[in-house]
Amino acid sequence: MSDSGLEVLIGRVLRIGVTVSSVCLAVGLVASLVAPGAAPTILNVGIVVLILTPAARVVLSIVEYTVARDWTFTLLTTIVLLELVVGAVAAFVFHRRL
Amino acid sequence: MPVVTPALALVIFVAGAAAGSLGAVLGIGGGVFLVPLLNLVLGFPIGVAAAISLATVIATSSTVTAGKAGQHLLNFRFGMVLEVATAAGSVLGGLTAQMLAQATLQKLFGVVTGVVALATIARSGRRNVILDPRAAPGILGGRFHDEESGQTIVYRIKRMPLALGASFIAGNVSSLLGIGGGVIKVPVLNGWCGMPLRAAAATSAFMIGVTATAGVIIYYVNGQLLPTAAAAAILGVQLGSFVGLKASPRMPVKMLKLLLAGVLAAVAVLMFVRGVR
Repeated sequence: MSDSGLEVLIGRVLRIGVTVSSVCLAVGLVASLVAPGAAPTILNVGIVVLILTPAARVVLSIVEYTVARDWTFTLLTTIVLLELVVGAVAAFVFHRRL
Repeated sequence: MPVVTPALALVIFVAGAAAGSLGAVLGIGGGVFLVPLLNLVLGFPIGVAAAISLATVIATSSTVTAGKAGQHLLNFRFGMVLEVATAAGSVLGGLTAQMLAQATLQKLFGVVTGVVALATIARSGRRNVILDPRAAPGILGGRFHDEESGQTIVYRIKRMPLALGASFIAGNVSSLLGIGGGVIKVPVLNGWCGMPLRAAAATSAFMIGVTATAGVIIYYVNGQLLPTAAAAAILGVQLGSFVGLKASPRMPVKMLKLLLAGVLAAVAVLMFVRGVR
């Protein structure tokens, strides 16, 4: 896949992720304001989808660069994904120590 | 901490829309405006303000990137190289933020935005553009059609270590203070690394999604990302960045830079004064 093909694909993934997340957040926001205490699940689904969207974009880049045998960028994007994972793990370990 | 009533949710939504439109036009995310609004005006602790702001930064980044993907303004390859540095900085910043006092973070916010405002004013006349469209942009440089001048603009990336260092610091400050980090990257990439302002802004908007993700996970796990307030802010920022994205190609570069500097200077003074008190 060419670079601009990857760009279009990434753009599409980001748009889908942010749309799904926004719909969940809108529904959850209205529900939680109408009946306080309700609908935290869908709000959290919206937030998790939002957070996972850039991570999905990184995974997609790794796959595309691997298929294209562009090893420099496969390595760079893999390092970025590892950094995200390290951050998440560190957050859980750190949280438990508090 | 304020209770998120329907009235407060509406205020947060409007604040998000204002911050998001400015952030999208300037390519720096809405965080630099939203954090002071949530912290100084609405009374949320700075950690909660930073968490909410980082979540809106992700939404802005996804929306702006989706809107610009396929145009050549956004330099994907260069952005992905810099993400290695910015994500590392972001993870460290998110963890450090948990250990610092609110007043310390407010003073830091004031200093960072103040320095960036001065740097932006000092370099507002520079364009850093190779005007010959046949010139080679190199491996990481780029080429795009500029709507303002109607010309094809070619640029080459200079001072790669500086770009990486600035990205690391931007990621760090981003997670620490809840801003996109574009306030640091855009002036550095534009002023010293050879990128035209619009290309630097688009590429920064692309990178801040990953930067903010690395940081927001830490706040989320610590329970600082209030779902209802975050939802109101994110939806407001979404609306604002949609409007900003539509308006930005028609705005002149010099005006953008001075607008950026003016707003940053005001934010810097407000946050610093609150931190000192």
